[in-house]
Amino acid sequence: MSELELRQTTVAASAQHLLLTRRPRLPRVGTLLAFAFVLFLVVATFAPALVATQDPNLIAPTEAFRAPSAAHWFGTDESGRDVYSRVVAGTGTSLLIGVSATLIGLVLGLALGLLASFGGRIFDFGVNRVIEVLFAFPGLLLALLVIVIAGPGPVTATIAVGLSTAPGYARIIRGQFVSIRSAPYVEAARVLGRSPARIVTRHVIPNALVPLFVLATLGIGQAIVWAAALSYLGLGAQPPAAEWGAMLAAGRTYLATAWWMTVFPGLMIVGTTIATTVLGRALARRGKDA
Amino acid sequence: MLRRTGLLLAGAVFVMWAVATLTFFAIRLIPGDPAQAILGGPGSQASQEALDQVRRDYGLDQPLIVQYLAMLGRLLTGDLGTSYALKVPVAELLGAQLGGTLLLAVLSLAVAWVLALALSLWSTGRSRIATVLGEWIELAAAALPHFWFAAVLIAVFSTALGWFPPVATGTPAGLVLPVVTLAVPLAGFLAQVMRESLLDAMQQPFVVSARARGEGALGIRLRHTIRHAALPGISLSGWALGWLLSGAVVVETIFAMPGLGRTLLQAVTLRDIPIVTGVVLLIALVYVVMTILTDAASRLADPRLRRQAAAR
Amino acid sequence: MPAALTAATRRFGLLSIALVGAIVLAGCQSTQPEASGGDPVPGGTLTYASGDGEPTCLDPHVGGNYPQALLAGQFLESLVSRDETGEIIPWLAESWEVAGDGLAWEFTLREGVTFTDGTPLDAESVKVNVEHLKNPDTQSSTGYLALGKVETVEVVSDRVARFVLSTPDSALLESLSQPWVAIESPTGIARGMEENCQAPVGTGPFIVDEWVKQDHVTLVRNDDYTSPPADAAHEGPAYLEAIEWRFVPDSASRYAALQGGQVDVIDNPQPDTIAAAEGSDSLAWLDAPRPGASNRIELNGGQVPFDDERVREAFIRAVEVDDGIEALFFGTAERSFSPLSSVESLAYSDGSLFEPDPDRANALLDEAGWTERDADGTRMKDGTRLTLRFPVSTNQSIPAEQSLFEQVQATAKAAGFDVVIELLDLSSWYGALAAHEYEIVSAPYTKVGPDVLRILYHSDSIAPAPSGYFANLAQLADPAVDSLLEEAAATSDAAIRAELYEEAQRLILGGHHLLPLYDQQNSFLLSGDVQGARAIPTVSTPTFYDAWLAD
Repeated sequence: MSELELRQTTVAASAQHLLLTRRPRLPRVGTLLAFAFVLFLVVATFAPALVATQDPNLIAPTEAFRAPSAAHWFGTDESGRDVYSRVVAGTGTSLLIGVSATLIGLVLGLALGLLASFGGRIFDFGVNRVIEVLFAFPGLLLALLVIVIAGPGPVTATIAVGLSTAPGYARIIRGQFVSIRSAPYVEAARVLGRSPARIVTRHVIPNALVPLFVLATLGIGQAIVWAAALSYLGLGAQPPAAEWGAMLAAGRTYLATAWWMTVFPGLMIVGTTIATTVLGRALARRGKDA
Repeated sequence: MLRRTGLLLAGAVFVMWAVATLTFFAIRLIPGDPAQAILGGPGSQASQEALDQVRRDYGLDQPLIVQYLAMLGRLLTGDLGTSYALKVPVAELLGAQLGGTLLLAVLSLAVAWVLALALSLWSTGRSRIATVLGEWIELAAAALPHFWFAAVLIAVFSTALGWFPPVATGTPAGLVLPVVTLAVPLAGFLAQVMRESLLDAMQQPFVVSARARGEGALGIRLRHTIRHAALPGISLSGWALGWLLSGAVVVETIFAMPGLGRTLLQAVTLRDIPIVTGVVLLIALVYVVMTILTDAASRLADPRLRRQAAAR
Repeated sequence: MPAALTAATRRFGLLSIALVGAIVLAGCQSTQPEASGGDPVPGGTLTYASGDGEPTCLDPHVGGNYPQALLAGQFLESLVSRDETGEIIPWLAESWEVAGDGLAWEFTLREGVTFTDGTPLDAESVKVNVEHLKNPDTQSSTGYLALGKVETVEVVSDRVARFVLSTPDSALLESLSQPWVAIESPTGIARGMEENCQAPVGTGPFIVDEWVKQDHVTLVRNDDYTSPPADAAHEGPAYLEAIEWRFVPDSASRYAALQGGQVDVIDNPQPDTIAAAEGSDSLAWLDAPRPGASNRIELNGGQVPFDDERVREAFIRAVEVDDGIEALFFGTAERSFSPLSSVESLAYSDGSLFEPDPDRANALLDEAGWTERDADGTRMKDGTRLTLRFPVSTNQSIPAEQSLFEQVQATAKAAGFDVVIELLDLSSWYGALAAHEYEIVSAPYTKVGPDVLRILYHSDSIAPAPSGYFANLAQLADPAVDSLLEEAAATSDAAIRAELYEEAQRLILGGHHLLPLYDQQNSFLLSGDVQGARAIPTVSTPTFYDAWLAD
């Protein structure tokens, strides 16, 4: 392994170590807030009618561009639709894109990482080069190519974003595995004669999962942001889908006249990123302590 | 040392070859007829003879493998081909754009570094509130979409306050907003990583003994721990550059700056294959060079790595 | 070692602070333009920021799109022009005569005009230009079509050129007024396409100095200029010394640059900024709708379900766009009920055909057999859903228009239509059209004169070019309409021509083949400093020949 890779593994290992051993054990205000926010998101995803105040697709051109008020908490958009209800309605799609893209990236990254760490030196070298090649493709370009090839829409946007985040995950996962591989308990298992497969499934993966989980929660927000960039370029979710990224992109045009159209979806994205990450770290701590 | 350099170069060549191959085949998947792209793009009323002629001229009627080998051959001589839409050599076109994008990326990286370092130094190892605030700022910054952040910056610093121009003007003032747009989200990422290393370093025995000797908090930060914080930043710089180049597509479009990102976007829309290939290869080259540089920088900054190399 | 690092870090920190400070100071600028009238002041550089996409070749003979027209209008000129009333007026040609049978037109050229490379303007150069346009190697689209009925050009004398036609063409003058058939220097053309694309040579008030791709084109004044069109405000060289033409794709940045004083004129402003500019003292609005067709939604009558006229009418009656247009365009766009632009004097309009009537829509659909409904309310017939594919090009439709289409989608849903909007980039959009994967579509078409109706609605236009492109998106094949349009194209009597076109439009509108929305919006916002700018009433591109900067 090269010096650079050693450095990266050490960074990854110490990051994991720190994430889990630095904080006190009681739930904090931040965690509770994050939990409440995520709860709201879950309800908005599966039962939007419970939290939305109006029909998100109800057009009312004469009510266009109204500022936030009692009747419309987040104001109305260019077609008179209630922005709050659209934000709620868009939760499902946006989260789906974020979670799916992250899952795709993780699964691919896991596969690559496993291959690199446990497939022997040749695989290690080969996969590292593949990861470098994928890194050399700017993520947005990859996404653009995928969409131009396969057509626009949330599905292709998800796949595109997932593919472009995979190399990043692969590298970190590989670093994780390498550091775990040289840990004492794995040494012991090997000395005791356990099979490689058993070592991987019983020792390596469970220990790698926790920091991965934390990474993934951060990745969800990131994936939504990438998908939003694709919507800005006109290649993301199709109308009238109330996807946050699309709303953010569409509302940007009216920033001077109707700031609420873009600020509130933006806050949702930022809020989701923060909430999922905070909650992820809190859960990871619990898992480690248990 | 020689062996190491040889391996690095071999790896670099492999990456370039792989990128060229991937791009070639990926582009062939894009729907649309390249001959039409050459003849003035979509909606053109080119005649059948013109289309056939173009196919012959550009070798588009050859089998795929022949076209692929021909492309590789041209690349070895440094010939990136001619743009379908603009009819000028790709190398000439991209040469003019590369400087702008690189400047933007390097400046953004530098500013992101400074911001991340400042934030993590300020918010680590002190009060609980500073830490939490620091964490939330990092997360919020990393979650900012470029196109949105740019719009906000323009609205505040350009339209309302009039401090900076909203489009590139060829002056340094015109670079400020684009650089900030790219640097802040990146700083959010970098700060998260730096903070962890910083925390780790602050718990080390040498720091404890420094405090015992009576050194102030700031002095400890600057003298002992900054290198530890900086290290992950260095190794992430390669990735950061790739990320910045993605962001450059949006930023160059919004601020009307000439650059590879904007060129790439237009080329994909127009199905201008030689330019897409050229930009991708150029970016891969920059990335490869960057990787080699960060490898060297890491070894310079971290004595442990140097000792390892010496021990080989 | 650590000590050295610390010192270095400190120095770096100070340096960066100083750098930022310097940049902040340098960035401060004033933003107040001064309004004034008065006499033209020569000198100065006008900065124009275009959102219209950069041309790939500055020679409008090659291809032929609107971005090319915008630039070419500054340095190239055509044989004739058009004034505000729609009358054809002299430009490079000072007079013209048509032979009795309509198959020969003789143009007498203006005297003493030279191209900026010294070549004189004569009948031979006109001939060379027409041949250039008709040559397949030039890859001309628009110009080629415009001169479709011209067989050859004969040189009668130094200043007289005879256009020989294959059939009479009542639209010849209108076609010749367009920038896509502008007259370029033959010597310039002879340099070859690559060089001529970089800087075509013309007779116009400005000359192309340099083109930095993806950034700007610099135009400088032609000090020997002698050929303004008949409706220009002065004679002799332009007042402006130079024009810097920048490409700024993002509309918000463009407007911010105008407000901040970095640019003097912008095009393609968003409607809310137009409304803001209207109310402001420091900005002016130049409203110049494009000629040719209006912005309309065309219904594909060539396949199910719109091959049934009842379903077409039902769609038109179900959709509501008036309130949306008013809100989305902030009152800057007027509803159109004609297939032609309002700048066409022969435009025929009938609002009664487009009054929303949901009851009638539902009744018609029931009558046409679309009586079943599926789970989300979409009508069905024999198991097929009433789905309408609507490809939308993000390069051509501004956000306000895309939002309007969403409203169309929502109001059509109430009657049971399932409108599926697909946002596509330009190439993919053309691909969808070529493959007939659309039921409704909005495709602008800019051309001077009512002859555009023939291009859009004559059955000949259903046949695709080798590229797959065809202009008759409504797939209209009505022999009555065909013969009206053919007759109108051939007659030389203005009154008869007007009647024929009116009748044709009546049939086209009455057949419920399209839903007109508004004129092709073509607005420019100018800073208060800019005086004397106007839009040429041909294709409504801006001309800065009479413009000057009141600074």
